[in-house]
Amino acid sequence: MTATSVTPTSAPRTRVNRLVLYTVLVVITGLFLGPFGWLVLSGLKTPAELAASPVHWLPAHVQWHNFADAFDLIDFLGYARNSLIIALIYATLVTLSSAWVGFGFARLSAPGKKTLFGILLGSMMLPQMITLLPTYLIFAKLGMVDTYWPWVLWGLSSAPYLVFLFRQFFAGLPRELEEAAIVDGCGYGTIFWRIFLPQSWPVLSASFVIAFTWTWGDYIAPQLLLSTDRTTLAVAVMSTYVTSAGTPVTNLQAAASVMYVVPILLIFLIAQRGFVAGMSTTGLK
Amino acid sequence: MHSQAGAPGASGAPGAPGHPGAPLSRRRFLALSAAGATAGAASLSGCALQVSSAASGAGETVTVMAKSGDISTDLIKQAQNDIGVKIETVLYSISKLIAMMTNGNPPDLVRGVGAVDAPYFAARGVMENLDPYFAKSTVLKSDDLDPVNDLWRYDGRTQGKGPRYGMAKDFSQDSMFWYNTALFDRAGVEYPPELEPVTYEEWLDKAKRLTRRKNGATTVFGGSYNGVLTPNMLASLTVAAGGNLFTDDYSRVDFTSPEARKALGWYIDYCRTRVGPSIIQPDPNTWDGPTFQANRLAMSNSGYWLGGLINTDKKLAPLSRLAPAPVFEGGRRVSPCQAGTGFWIPSKSHNKDAAWRVFEWFFGEAPAKARASGGWGIPTLKSLRSLMPSQAPYQKEVLKVQKAELNHFSVIAFTPYATADSLYALFNQIAPAAMNGRMSVDRLAGQLNSAMNEQLKRGKEQVG
Repeated sequence: MTATSVTPTSAPRTRVNRLVLYTVLVVITGLFLGPFGWLVLSGLKTPAELAASPVHWLPAHVQWHNFADAFDLIDFLGYARNSLIIALIYATLVTLSSAWVGFGFARLSAPGKKTLFGILLGSMMLPQMITLLPTYLIFAKLGMVDTYWPWVLWGLSSAPYLVFLFRQFFAGLPRELEEAAIVDGCGYGTIFWRIFLPQSWPVLSASFVIAFTWTWGDYIAPQLLLSTDRTTLAVAVMSTYVTSAGTPVTNLQAAASVMYVVPILLIFLIAQRGFVAGMSTTGLK
Repeated sequence: MHSQAGAPGASGAPGAPGHPGAPLSRRRFLALSAAGATAGAASLSGCALQVSSAASGAGETVTVMAKSGDISTDLIKQAQNDIGVKIETVLYSISKLIAMMTNGNPPDLVRGVGAVDAPYFAARGVMENLDPYFAKSTVLKSDDLDPVNDLWRYDGRTQGKGPRYGMAKDFSQDSMFWYNTALFDRAGVEYPPELEPVTYEEWLDKAKRLTRRKNGATTVFGGSYNGVLTPNMLASLTVAAGGNLFTDDYSRVDFTSPEARKALGWYIDYCRTRVGPSIIQPDPNTWDGPTFQANRLAMSNSGYWLGGLINTDKKLAPLSRLAPAPVFEGGRRVSPCQAGTGFWIPSKSHNKDAAWRVFEWFFGEAPAKARASGGWGIPTLKSLRSLMPSQAPYQKEVLKVQKAELNHFSVIAFTPYATADSLYALFNQIAPAAMNGRMSVDRLAGQLNSAMNEQLKRGKEQVG
């Protein structure tokens, strides 16, 4: 008899444990999905149903046209295009630059490396609000206000959290790989591009998803640096669903918010496997 | 603009070896890298990444900092057609405004709430004195300006006097209230008199009787009373009680004076009894309109402007009436405007003449006429009052009450030493304990004095 054999009493116990586990998971899933579900339902109601008491949980007549109206009330596609451009630029550049910096911190040695890494991580503690005014002034002096150049520069300058992610991953790769490449005459640039980067797809994927989500969801930077016509969907959904009198159109805003979230969900679903693998291989799970 | 960073000065910094063939020191490498990066950026400035459409010459493009709804896309096109000025908009944000002003490139027109923003910005010297423009204008004549525009005047000490720094686009007397006669009938509560004010105590009593609850949830709010911004609503209530919330030099508040204490006590009672939305019982709709429209709010402390919504609802409009601002027993009859939202021109605007042209057009020409007939506020030019909606019998009734109420308008001056938002944040930190019955009103008054006076002291130090 091995340790894996099932005794008559342990089988029902396992079933009960699973039942409890799944019940807890369903409840937690419900809690997480609840706000999104409410948002979807709000986007399908009339303003009167939204204001009703007792609460109308389900719309009496589903207002599918709210989604079309939300599309028409503002230049939804235009704002979505702006968001997409910014998010793609930033996510691509910051992923590559962070990988490069992370590689340096993981595999190269230089005086003061630990201190520099500490400073880099310390910069994560700096609230965005503190740097708001200087950031605007720098970009204004460079003539970059109302352009997408700030996202290029931010992308090229890497992000501390992503650097940390890559550093953890690269530090875990066997040193023999690097040594064999050096024996074959490779420099560190070649080692990074040809050996380390191709092995880091899970982290690259995780980094891209994280960076894309940051930028897609960012309100402060586009609000500060872009004009109304060139701003992103995050800013537009927050502030432009109003009547000519400035009063909010909540049901259309809810419908627009649902549409705003969809690309993020799609990207996560597509990159889910790589994202989870990336997070688990960096020791940050 | 882009070429500035790639100018020779970038690589010719002091200490940088300038001759060809010099060893590539780390400093020179960094300097060249920076120059290369900026030159690369400059070369890319004409590509698709460059989304900025550079401002055209003076008098042609005006940058307006506004909220959505202040200036629609259609109105921007109309401006181009009517006056040949191109309007570019940036969303209103105090952080962005400060950043733009610090950079020396402010918007040409900025939206503001006259009742609270005018003294704040005027005291800091960032607003253009518009008196010379008004003096020359054939569209906006001084004798045609409604007294509400005095909210945009500041003489260096007191709001309501001195030079004009802006103008309101439309206004309401925000202590008035609308009521739903059907909900009054259902609850058997007598209507308020048509032209005479009820007392605040009577208003609260009616609100209690009108409130309906089911299974712990409020199905009908008896009344909503939150003003436009809590700090200037409390200032208005204090004046109605016969006192002043601010000291003579506006550098301090005093909630412990008998009048301010009475005003504060009444508002805390309103919140505590939960007859209407407040910070401890927020309305998910975030404003009164949908709740009033859904017959779930018997009295709404909204001025004439709510008529813009009510007029569009043919079932609700005949049931809705406007009533004068309440009074405190023994207090003054006052009916202030707590907003007076409009625009001002920053003194560092590079395009003041074009900004003024837009200002004149927006406040005195086609857009002003369209607003006046829409019912979303009282026009701020007396000559446009005849355009206010008055066809239906209920509109005539509303207009009669509103016209009588205009006699009781007065400017209630706000402090220049703090934004209303900052005082509101302090109020929201401290007051919920009193609203929930865990703190006495006297203790609340003392704590508000300490917190707000500290804030005002810092503001006074800044202004000097």
